[in-house]
Amino acid sequence: MLPLTLLNISQGHPMLVELKSGETLNGHLVNCDAWMNLTLEEVVQTNADGTRFFRLPECYVRGNNIKCLRVPDEVLELAREKNQQQREESRQNRNSNQNYGNRGGNGGYNNNRGYNNHNGNSQRGGGYNRGGGRGGGQFRGGMNRGGRGGY
Amino acid sequence: MSLPQALDASALPSIIFTTAAQLVDCVDKRLLVILRDGRKLIGILRSFDQYANLVLQDTVERIVVDSLYNDQPRGVYIIRGENVVLVGQIDPEKESSPSMTEVSLDEIYAAQQKESDERKRKEEVKTGKLIDLGFSIEPQVEDLY
Repeated sequence: MLPLTLLNISQGHPMLVELKSGETLNGHLVNCDAWMNLTLEEVVQTNADGTRFFRLPECYVRGNNIKCLRVPDEVLELAREKNQQQREESRQNRNSNQNYGNRGGNGGYNNNRGYNNHNGNSQRGGGYNRGGGRGGGQFRGGMNRGGRGGY
Repeated sequence: MSLPQALDASALPSIIFTTAAQLVDCVDKRLLVILRDGRKLIGILRSFDQYANLVLQDTVERIVVDSLYNDQPRGVYIIRGENVVLVGQIDPEKESSPSMTEVSLDEIYAAQQKESDERKRKEEVKTGKLIDLGFSIEPQVEDLY
């Protein structure tokens, strides 16, 4: 389980974020991404000396400012369980793919068709805004409306 | 019939990684990690990635002043790779060294304070001397790296 995967799993858990400046943020992790950018909720911020405390209802941290994160012990346990689960699911998928190989193939084909529709609309000018492209796949009226919205 | 030489696992050259991949050998072992701010963390490495971001379990933070030390339990750490200076495996047999004595947190803080005061005093003396000699001194930032 990679460090960033573990971070993803700790969403919703309390954690302590230490910044390079020495400041710390204590709060619940709401979201994070591949750059380690975080959003936290119910935060208590302390300055580098640990002498002053600030309460923030929410905050955003750009990943590059992070020194380290302390997460609760149970998150590792949770990660291990999820890992196990995923492994089992992928094993089951592999088995069912062997039995119904054609179904998997069809699914891929459908996905492609959706993508092509989107492109076709763009060429007709309707797909300049994304909504138009998506709508146009189902009926023409929707596409036109979307197209007008784009201007 | 004996296996051809190439299939004998022990004959394979051990691949030497020069990047974060070298940490594969360290997974699930007790490691000492030193951070850029000088902190020393000791914990079991559970995972790492291409940035040398690390996950440490059962981590303790060890404060060392001369031959005194104190361990503070810290739990699970995710360390951002940028801040890592050094990762080293700990030999469990040599971990408890008789030359080091464990002391209480208060004692270690006192020792730390004393050391930093001493360093500051020395720095001031040095700066004073250098200014007398006509050097201009910029204030030093306390970052080791």
